[in-house]
Amino acid sequence: MKPFPELRPAPWDLAVVAAVLTLALFCGVMVWGGAATGLTAIVTADGEEIDRFPLSAPAGERTYSAGGYTLTADVSPDGIQITASDCPTQDCIRTGRISRSGQSIVCLPARFILRLEGKTEINSSGVDAVIG
Amino acid sequence: MKLTTKELTVCALLTAMALGLSYLENLFPLSLAVPVPGVKLGLANIVAVFALYALGAGQAFLILFARCLLGSVFAGNMSAFIFSLFGGVSAMAVMTLLSHLRGLSVYGVSAGGAAAHNCGQIAAAMLTLGSTAPLYYLPVLLGVSLLTGGLTGLVCACLFRGLASTNFMKG
Ligand SMILES: [Zn+2]
Repeated sequence: MKPFPELRPAPWDLAVVAAVLTLALFCGVMVWGGAATGLTAIVTADGEEIDRFPLSAPAGERTYSAGGYTLTADVSPDGIQITASDCPTQDCIRTGRISRSGQSIVCLPARFILRLEGKTEINSSGVDAVIG
Repeated sequence: MKLTTKELTVCALLTAMALGLSYLENLFPLSLAVPVPGVKLGLANIVAVFALYALGAGQAFLILFARCLLGSVFAGNMSAFIFSLFGGVSAMAVMTLLSHLRGLSVYGVSAGGAAAHNCGQIAAAMLTLGSTAPLYYLPVLLGVSLLTGGLTGLVCACLFRGLASTNFMKG
């Protein structure tokens, strides 16, 4: 009834490794594809968008309140960073600066997400090229 | 499911060990590479792999639920429960399936389980946050899962080798 495991690496283990790597590559192309030009920052709190601005916007600090907490974001053309937050975990500050499309800063207690997105035209033109 | 006193004792012991490992993984600064709060390495999968082979899928799932429930009670929040349950159940489902395949060693089963664990955790993060943002970190996490899976396999292989000379596995 209980299958006793093979204790030494077997050839078929490589199939599992290959499957995981393929999945990683597939996800990587899906989420990292598209060059990061014209980044847009999208801020959501509790699933609802509360702010959206291009990263090329004037540099400076932006303050958000979400879930009873206050977060301060430092915005500059080369990225965004949460510099101050009164949330208990401080994960959002520890994330540091994000600068590429798809990257995000998450504050779980505040249910706050700050996400960078590249222009969508890059992805759609890529699809057109494949179809055509 | 009817458990003998010995089985119940082993289950309780393994649950405690899984909780210990869950706590231990807080020491690894995974949040530096994957800044999605709640996502964990999945060291408790060592116990899951061991339980799956030594006790069978039924008791392995029992230990998993006990670990997730107690772990979130200690952590004191509901999202910890969702994260560990999603990760744990995905891993256990995949490993149960893989363990029936011939030609796979404990390493392959562990690696598959670790990958499934991380997919489950990202799914939990997307659900909790109502956003697909955490998906960005899945490729990195899948790479990490090959390492944790290999480590899990190694630890379990050593465990089973040690137990081969006892009559534990014969129940
Ligand atoms: Zn925070």
